[in-house]
Amino acid sequence: MVLTDIKAGGKAKITNTEHVNVLVRRRLLDLGIMEGTEISIKRILPFGGPFAVEAGGQWVGIRRSEAKLIQVCHS
Amino acid sequence: MIEIALAGNPNTGKTSLFNILTNSYEYVGNWSGVTVEKKVGMLNNKKGHLIDLPGIYSLNPLSRDEGVATRFLIEENFSMVLNIVDASQLERNLYLTIQLLEYGKPVVIGLNMVDVAKGRGIMVNEKKLSERLQSPVLPIVARTGSGCKELAGLLTNEEQENKPLYILYGQPLERAMETLVAKMPDAENLPPKRWLALQFFEGNEVVHALLKTMMPEAELQRIFAETEAQVQSEEGAKSLSYHIRAVRAEYIKGVLDVSLQKGEEVTYTLTDRIDNIVTNKFLGIPIFILFMYLIFKLTFDWLGSPISDMLDAFLTGPLTDDLTSMLQAAGASAFIKAVILDGIVAGVGGVLVFVPQIMILFFLISFIEDSGYMARIAMVMDKTLESIGLNGKAFIPMIIGFGCNVPGIMAARTIEQPKERLLTIILTPLMSCSARLSVYSLFVGAFFTQNQALVVLSLYLLGIVIALTLAKIFSSTILKEESSMFVIELPPYRIPQWRTLMRNTWEKGKGFIKKAGTFIFGGSVIIWFLSYAGPGGLGVDMNKSFLALIGGAIAPLFEPIGFGSWQAGAALITGFLAKEVVVSTMNIIYVAPDLHTLQGVMAHHFTSLSAYSFMAFLLLYVPCLATVAVIKKETGSAKWTWFSIIYALLIAYIVSLIIYQGGKLLGF
Repeated sequence: MVLTDIKAGGKAKITNTEHVNVLVRRRLLDLGIMEGTEISIKRILPFGGPFAVEAGGQWVGIRRSEAKLIQVCHS
Repeated sequence: MIEIALAGNPNTGKTSLFNILTNSYEYVGNWSGVTVEKKVGMLNNKKGHLIDLPGIYSLNPLSRDEGVATRFLIEENFSMVLNIVDASQLERNLYLTIQLLEYGKPVVIGLNMVDVAKGRGIMVNEKKLSERLQSPVLPIVARTGSGCKELAGLLTNEEQENKPLYILYGQPLERAMETLVAKMPDAENLPPKRWLALQFFEGNEVVHALLKTMMPEAELQRIFAETEAQVQSEEGAKSLSYHIRAVRAEYIKGVLDVSLQKGEEVTYTLTDRIDNIVTNKFLGIPIFILFMYLIFKLTFDWLGSPISDMLDAFLTGPLTDDLTSMLQAAGASAFIKAVILDGIVAGVGGVLVFVPQIMILFFLISFIEDSGYMARIAMVMDKTLESIGLNGKAFIPMIIGFGCNVPGIMAARTIEQPKERLLTIILTPLMSCSARLSVYSLFVGAFFTQNQALVVLSLYLLGIVIALTLAKIFSSTILKEESSMFVIELPPYRIPQWRTLMRNTWEKGKGFIKKAGTFIFGGSVIIWFLSYAGPGGLGVDMNKSFLALIGGAIAPLFEPIGFGSWQAGAALITGFLAKEVVVSTMNIIYVAPDLHTLQGVMAHHFTSLSAYSFMAFLLLYVPCLATVAVIKKETGSAKWTWFSIIYALLIAYIVSLIIYQGGKLLGF
């Protein structure tokens, strides 16, 4: 299952970020988002727009294409 | 005098704290080699300097600009670090703190946003935190200044021992660090060797470059590869950097276990509710446009113009009268009187009257920046911008560019991808800056009195549309991007603080006033002189002056786009110095003592259509001198600098041609 399978307002736990672009992965790591992090989807922007996610009180905007590459499981 | 470095994550209130702890900027410039702004302030007690390092998450830099902090630690002399951490994001913030503590210089920790943390049910026991980190920790609220006085009291010169934090990274890495440390020469001014070794193994490029000056690159690579293999097999880690991060995370967890109490988690509901509206499916973009419209209304119609009119009345009324009688009393010659009244007062005064509008615009842009809305705009716009080869973050430089293109172009450094950044830099000058505003104000006041805000807004939109169109063209031809990235932090909304807003507005707006005092002052005198002198001698009829000759030489070029007079040609040439100089030039050329006379005279030289064509041309043609300089600096390339000048000229001509000829066909 990947992050984009989760609906807005839903929660999940990240299991794998290996397929994500190196720079994006590094930036997410800086923001405290990595394997094992519990993440909730706050907003999904229309027309294939970005996802606003929250982890540990921190809100981050990422692209849908990147969110598709983040593997998650139900927490 | 002690030197204190201020370090912390982005969006932790670093700027607020800097403003509270220092009274004035000692120095504002750039860090050498990169274009990140370097700010040094004098502490309020005048006993030390505070050096503002760029906001970073880790000392291991991701972009070239983030390397500034690491380079500072390696190269510069300082006695302590003031580390500001966000109490509501302690786990992530401590990651940087750990690296600073490992460095070994005394660290004072300002625990900011304790109020926000409390609101989210997080209680930090600063005594326990301080004990575990072996450094003073003080709770503060930088936005209100609470606790900052006590914090300032800790920034003293008392000799403090350097006692690096010592975390054990496991047998294989510890052994490797020992080996590497033993190979480093004993040089003075070298950062702590263990810290260097650790940063090297974490993959820090800046440290790597330093070590290369001490030992052969091949040896470094061999040690790195061997160590990585050992760590992978013995610790089961994916890579060295993962292993180091994991050990630190473990350590931080231990620290937080004793010093952090999490109560009931309350997510920021207000931010949630605002976001529901401003990033709404259907309303997001309309709300943003409405916001921009309100900003223009405030800047021109509601607030800015009345104040500008008052200032204009003062400059042309009492001030000119007083100056005239003073000159009369001093027995000044007719020449001197002409220089001062027709040259300087007309030129400089003509520009100064727009200062209120410009200040208001800067104020509102600072407000958007500080409130947290800017990051949402970037997110709302990302999809649109991605389709034309940019990312949402490119919108931020463009909006700042509305105030002034120079800081706008500098703001492009937050864009990680080099090509997206370059594209943003060369397109930001198309954003209509506040200097151009002074020219529009002049023209709309004369030709479009009924729809001032609307006409000006249309010019701003014209700039945006052209920038976006060109982005698409450039990104699919000369600047093909292999991969684009977008990750943006969305800070909670907050009401911006007066102190910061005022300071930001002043810092940005004062450049404009300074320009009026130097550049435009000198320019006005020269322009006036060129209009006063001619091949026939001094005091000639202006139509036979040097200025008329120069302007006349290029005027035929502008005939097809609606303004083939020598006056327009001369004004556009001088506009390259700074776009607002066009106003000064026109004031001098049309010998108009004040705004209203000038607008009256201009009605004889332009039609509504040619006025609009002129404004569009002025919007798009060559960036001003200061902008060209900053493009050169930011891109480091003469080729791209020339490119940004030439494409702008071409586009300006084409657009004005379409407007003027098209308008004539339509019967305007």
